[in-house]
Amino acid sequence: MKRCLGLLPPLLILAVLLLFCLWTGRRVGTDTERWRAPLIQSSEAALLGDWDAAGDLLAASYDDWRSRQFFLHVTVQHEVVEDAEAMYRRARAFLDGQETEEYRAELADLIHQLLALAEQEALSWENVL
Amino acid sequence: MSTAFFRTLILYFLIMAGLRLTGKRQIGELEPGELVLTMMISDLAAVPMQDFGIPLLAGVIPILTLLALSLLLSQLALRSLRFRELLCGTPTVLIRNGKLQQEAMRKNRFTIDEVLEELRSQGYSGIDAVKYAVLENSGQLSFLPWTAEQPPTAKQLGLSLEDETALPTVLINDGRVLRKNLRRCGRDEAWLKKTLKEQGFHRPEEVFLLTFAPESGVFCLRKEDAT
Repeated sequence: MKRCLGLLPPLLILAVLLLFCLWTGRRVGTDTERWRAPLIQSSEAALLGDWDAAGDLLAASYDDWRSRQFFLHVTVQHEVVEDAEAMYRRARAFLDGQETEEYRAELADLIHQLLALAEQEALSWENVL
Repeated sequence: MSTAFFRTLILYFLIMAGLRLTGKRQIGELEPGELVLTMMISDLAAVPMQDFGIPLLAGVIPILTLLALSLLLSQLALRSLRFRELLCGTPTVLIRNGKLQQEAMRKNRFTIDEVLEELRSQGYSGIDAVKYAVLENSGQLSFLPWTAEQPPTAKQLGLSLEDETALPTVLINDGRVLRKNLRRCGRDEAWLKKTLKEQGFHRPEEVFLLTFAPESGVFCLRKEDAT
């Protein structure tokens, strides 16, 4: 047991690093899922012509997204975050103009971008290899 | 730009702390694993230092992972000879009893030109001057010359000499008194003050270097700009 004591510190460091990485991936996954849900509903609301509901849902998703910016910038590539931010703003602009097709297309891109963000941080064979 | 500044500071101190943990080897004496580690860490640090679009953690986490892995492997190497052999290799004898081991040279892809070059750089005229040559894990070639090729030692000449080998302790370094070393030598400030007076100094700040060893006594150097 005494002989193994020297192995403990590096093993502990590796374990902490791995747990942190796994936690980050999981956190990004749950966050993006939470942001995507209202966007999907917003797209359906826009299709039905309910622009108020669509706007509320988009705003809710965006506010939640904004509250996580520090965490995102510390853990994820900034380019991915900034692209998603730009998509949110463009969606807002299409919503204000009540342009159904453009709005839904932008939301589809944004939902896909958030999905890609989660997949990028997830532990998977595709990412490792 | 301030981002670059602070990222550089963080990464620099992180790497310094990490490499400090890996030991006191110089670059030229690094084992293969250590050389790989050093090169990878420098590359990993450079990326977030220059590209602000990449989170700092994207550099810090791989660096910490590499350092922890290096510590783990070195601990395992301490405990297992077989693992150490696997990780670091084993030294190879290229010259044994003055005879060139050509098979060993072929296995290590070491040419005769390289052997001769190393011999010359270490001051030997030829292969016949050395009894053994060992290719170390670091890639350096160590030579053990024949006794007749070495300067004689006092022991070989049958001389009985008093052992004067000393390991001086630094007590004043560039004007600063190293109190820990002073205590380690069993001396105190009063002794230091007396010694300085004997050496012609008024204050420690006038001294560039002061060392002490029981066998050889005090060695003192004055600072050039001291009046």
